Amino acid sequence: MTFVQSVKMAAKSIGSNKGRSFLTMLGVIIGIAAVIILVSIVQGQQDAIMEQFEKMGTNQMEVYYYQWSGNTPDLTDELQQFCAELGPELVIGISPQKYAWSNSIRYESKQAEYPNIYLASDTYSICAGFTIAKGRDISYLDVKKLNRVCVLGSKVAADLFNYADPVGKKITISGDEYTVIGVYASKGVSEEYGGSYQDNVVIVPYTLEKRVNKSSGSSSSSYEFLVKAASSDVIEEAMGRIRAFLETKIDTNNGYVDVYSNSSWQESQTEGFAEQAVLLGSIAAISLLVGGIGIMNIMLVTVTERTREIGIRKAIGAPRRAIITQFLIEASMVSTMGGLIGMIVGCLGTVVAGKLILDTILAPPVYILVVAFLVSVAFGVGFGVYPAIRASRLQPVEALRNE
Amino acid sequence: MTNTSVAPPADRLIELNDVYKIYGEGLESEVRALDGVSLHIDRGEFTAIIGSSGSGKSTMMNILGCLDLPTYGEYYLNDERVSDLSDVELSRIRNREIGFIFQGFNLIPALTALENVELPLVYAGAGARAKKGAVGDERLLRSREELAWAALEKVGIDHRAHHRPAEMSGGQQQRVAIARAIVTNPPLILADEPTGNLDSRTTEDVMKILRELHAAGSTVVLITHDREIAEAADRTVRLLDGKIVYDSKRDGDDGSRGDPLGLGTKGGAGA
Repeated sequence: MTFVQSVKMAAKSIGSNKGRSFLTMLGVIIGIAAVIILVSIVQGQQDAIMEQFEKMGTNQMEVYYYQWSGNTPDLTDELQQFCAELGPELVIGISPQKYAWSNSIRYESKQAEYPNIYLASDTYSICAGFTIAKGRDISYLDVKKLNRVCVLGSKVAADLFNYADPVGKKITISGDEYTVIGVYASKGVSEEYGGSYQDNVVIVPYTLEKRVNKSSGSSSSSYEFLVKAASSDVIEEAMGRIRAFLETKIDTNNGYVDVYSNSSWQESQTEGFAEQAVLLGSIAAISLLVGGIGIMNIMLVTVTERTREIGIRKAIGAPRRAIITQFLIEASMVSTMGGLIGMIVGCLGTVVAGKLILDTILAPPVYILVVAFLVSVAFGVGFGVYPAIRASRLQPVEALRNE
Repeated sequence: MTNTSVAPPADRLIELNDVYKIYGEGLESEVRALDGVSLHIDRGEFTAIIGSSGSGKSTMMNILGCLDLPTYGEYYLNDERVSDLSDVELSRIRNREIGFIFQGFNLIPALTALENVELPLVYAGAGARAKKGAVGDERLLRSREELAWAALEKVGIDHRAHHRPAEMSGGQQQRVAIARAIVTNPPLILADEPTGNLDSRTTEDVMKILRELHAAGSTVVLITHDREIAEAADRTVRLLDGKIVYDSKRDGDDGSRGDPLGLGTKGGAGA
């Protein structure tokens, strides 16, 4: 008997008992759909968070040092030089990121709400993940020539100018006028992850530090930098190299060097999601298992019901193998059809759940669909084996006697 | 083959040598369904095996049909020693050497008449794999339906080919069952009370078909409790308590045993 004939025979048998076949499938349908929906939601959440991380900026590290006594040396030039030597395969950007102690920024009568003023270089936008929306970025010449210019974050721009174009206008920081040369596009980070705080910034060339921070009097006691590594693979190495370099310059008995990256925090967040996916997936897999046992149960009932048919088939020459094949194919067809329906239900359910829970359009990842299909085929075969063997072991005499 | 047995003659289809079928051997409740039966049937014979219920004729039918194996003794079918064959080989013999006709028709309800008749050919494909490599043989696949049609035509039921068993009368179902039995062209037709569920008119139809098959050269073994039915056969073998008590051929040949106990006439009344 060929495979095609077995499939035809199984289809006939399933078709002749549609109601029960569907109920048998239901377990697999629910199991497969649940696995797809749960995995898709977790995956969707993970993707959403990864997207936030992308917006906040990935592969960033913050470098910080100070000395308790004496003047903390200004290593800005040396550190920039060192990073340049590390090369773009390790570090693709470094900028001072010094906080200015003024929170007074005005344009005419308007005042910005607690903006963060950063003294930074022309590579700040690369390091922090900003892009220019209007005007231009701070240039190398602005830094070198101590031009009194600034670039506004979108929040500050909105606070001071509403919808008017800020480029070319003069704003007042710590009593001095600065020309707005550009506005950064909003990072679009959700409120959960800092939101508009990320856009509530003003960037001034770091060479103007003394002017901006003149109210604080004495020279800096600490220095802070933002460094962008080339990739997540090299960030650990870049961090180590920079730390080692600074520790040759700063006496750690009399000071402090910190190189910090949120990439490890991001990784642990991602790992948390992977764990969640495994946990929820396992729960859904249990319902799939129950569905599989349902198939086995019904196939055993079918074997009992069709004992006479099995006897007839044996009497007219069906070998054991043919009986096993017939019942195995029947079980795997039920299971595979259930799996396919479950995949459709799962996809629709994912879209609905994505809308309700995450308020986005979610699509199940392709791999989970492939896995779901393979699992449903394997389940039919796996849970069909026992009933099929039972069927094949029936003695023809006894099977024929059965009424 | 043991050294005590003699190779059967070329025209011999069935040879039972001292066959026993014992249930619960050694227990109080031991039942000897067949108690030392020897029987030879030649090709082309039409034999009726007759006996009342409990006489062992059903056991005889099961053993002749390779549905069951004897406890002791040897069974040769078409020169093959059946007594100790594997499941695959027994399946092949049931498929190729024997055409079954049952009292209850035993058609598969979900399949049409044509599909029921095709079924032995379907299994023949797999069973013949080792021998002839018939699986995937385009000629065989194409002709399967044609063979089934031919068998249905032969028993005059081709007009019901696309009906399911439930849509047919008993006589029609039994014709389909006969078509299924002959579709593989087996040397042995084994009919177990083929008219037991039929009225007298359809009984006559079915018996006519069996006689025609015999006339066309088939070896037919008919198992029945009904002496009238058995009269259609050329030879009558009577079983009582698991033993052959009467074996007679028409046309003057009285076989090997005759009727020494004179039970032939009495036993028939008990049916």
